[in-house]
Amino acid sequence: MTATFPQTGVRGPSPQGLAIKVEDLRKSYGSLVAVDGISFNVRENEIFGILGPNGAGKTTTVEILEGLRDADEGHVTVAGVDVRRYPKRVKGLIGVQLQSSAFFDNLTLLELTDMFAAIYGRRINARELLGKVDLHDKEHSKVRQLSGGQKQRFSIATALVNDPRVLFLDEPTTGLDPQARRNLWELAQALRQEGRTVLLTTHYMEEAETLCDRVAIMDGGKIITLDTPANLVQRLLDKGFRGRRVEREANLEDVFIDLTGKDLRED
Amino acid sequence: MSRSFRALLSTSLKAYYRNRSAMFFSLLVPLIIMVIFGLLNLGGNHTSENIGVVDLAHNPSSQLIIDNLKKESVLQVDFGSQAAETNALKKGDRALVVVLPAELGAIQTCAPRAVGCHPGPKPVSIPIYTNKAKPQDAQIATAIVTQFFAQSSFVALGQPGGVFKPVVQVLPGQNTTYTDFLVPGIIALSIMQTGIFSVAFAFVQQKQTGVLRRLMATPMKVSEFLAAQVTTRLIMAAVQVAILLFVGVVFFGFHLAGNVVELMLACIFGSAIFIAIGFGISGYAKDEQAVPAIANILVLPMMFLSGIFFTRDSMPAWLHTVSDYLPLTYVVDAIRSVAVNGSHLWNLGTDVIGIAVWLVITVAIAIRLFRWEVV
Repeated sequence: MTATFPQTGVRGPSPQGLAIKVEDLRKSYGSLVAVDGISFNVRENEIFGILGPNGAGKTTTVEILEGLRDADEGHVTVAGVDVRRYPKRVKGLIGVQLQSSAFFDNLTLLELTDMFAAIYGRRINARELLGKVDLHDKEHSKVRQLSGGQKQRFSIATALVNDPRVLFLDEPTTGLDPQARRNLWELAQALRQEGRTVLLTTHYMEEAETLCDRVAIMDGGKIITLDTPANLVQRLLDKGFRGRRVEREANLEDVFIDLTGKDLRED
Repeated sequence: MSRSFRALLSTSLKAYYRNRSAMFFSLLVPLIIMVIFGLLNLGGNHTSENIGVVDLAHNPSSQLIIDNLKKESVLQVDFGSQAAETNALKKGDRALVVVLPAELGAIQTCAPRAVGCHPGPKPVSIPIYTNKAKPQDAQIATAIVTQFFAQSSFVALGQPGGVFKPVVQVLPGQNTTYTDFLVPGIIALSIMQTGIFSVAFAFVQQKQTGVLRRLMATPMKVSEFLAAQVTTRLIMAAVQVAILLFVGVVFFGFHLAGNVVELMLACIFGSAIFIAIGFGISGYAKDEQAVPAIANILVLPMMFLSGIFFTRDSMPAWLHTVSDYLPLTYVVDAIRSVAVNGSHLWNLGTDVIGIAVWLVITVAIAIRLFRWEVV
């Protein structure tokens, strides 16, 4: 996709600022401790990844940051607002793509986009926004007629209607083919170019390595490490780790993309 | 109206309007049911005239007349007090009402040489009341009954005329046919079905797929969202009622006697009860498969016990009492009273109170059971 984006009004990067600040966050469901006292910061204009196996507490953490769920303990500040105290105010400032994105049946992308804008009290050019995520030729389609990648891009479009400073993407590329995944990576990078902060969760290590400035790895409700992908790899190598096979200059995915091309296959 | 509410309402209406199965069940199915039952015309195909007899004499003469009246194969004879029979006449349940006066069967003695006086049975006037709204039935029944009394006079006196003098008096009333009973029933049934099913299915699905969750991630006002959803269903209910009334009046000769605005009000408040039940079910049901089972446990008994297709008169007393308290009974009775009897809402004490109480109960249950996400 081409990275020509309309002017959005998002302020430029301020390297000192923090987009997200989490202190000693805890959340339990009955006897199950989902989030066990985690603390971390996300800098403004950063792409920050939360990695971890299923049940590690990623989604619970993200949902607390989004104001969808209250924590038991801890402080959370997103875009300068105390989430636990003013969840609705935070919701107005952030953009959210949920793991399973579903929308009303029987409405077109254009109608849904307009509805979301109205909820935020915004007047937007819905056509332009859909064009931005490469869906200009689908504006009169229904969500069920979209491919997996298109659905995710539409989901991101609805997360952009309020021109958010902080964007949450929960497993945005799960289930997508390599072409669609790459396409989404480019979109995420372009959104960061506009000055937004992106927090994403993923199961794909290659994705985290390509996209994220820093990653936190969660397990059992705790953050077990947090650093840039390069530093994490270097630390492992420093411990004397050697991979099962020597990494070559290319891998199977490169072969796949070389043979099938980068063009999206969705129609 | 805020812009966000207008947007939520218009998208909700569009989504409903474009949902073919929802439109089929809320608009076409009620019409099909009405056409089927309308064509069956249960209770409407009479081969005899229904007359009421009020016996004020209670003597052998009146008994003889009654026995002979009963032998007339074209007459279906009911007995009752004057008030009850007049009421039945005005509701259209009788072709006419005959009153046998207390002086029936008295013997007349004449003074010597009195002019125009014949000793023997004393002539009496027989009041006959007919319903102005049912002229054809009245005409046929009057002809049969006058003929009957002419013959009886002949038998009693040996000459025609004289003893029994039928005096026909036409009273204002209604002509309540089976259609008049059926149309309000179908209206109540449809607003119940639409209210319960359209809400329960839609919200279980939206809860399961995460549509509601996505909306909760926005600063949307929950009250506006729910108001938009409820308003959509209430508008659909009003459209349903309008279509059913139109078809009822134009194609089935439904006698709409009441105020349409009051009728709509009764329908909308009734619809709100069933919408609340739908929200409760959507919260309680784990998935879409569970919806029809739960909904039908509530819907089917009401459908057959609330007097939708047939009157509840033939029910055993205990069942009648139970059915008195069903929400659909209050709703259909209110609709019937307004539409057919032309009553005003403020005169329908029990039904209006019943609807109000059920609305409070069902909304409270809906608030308790409703869920935004699958837990």
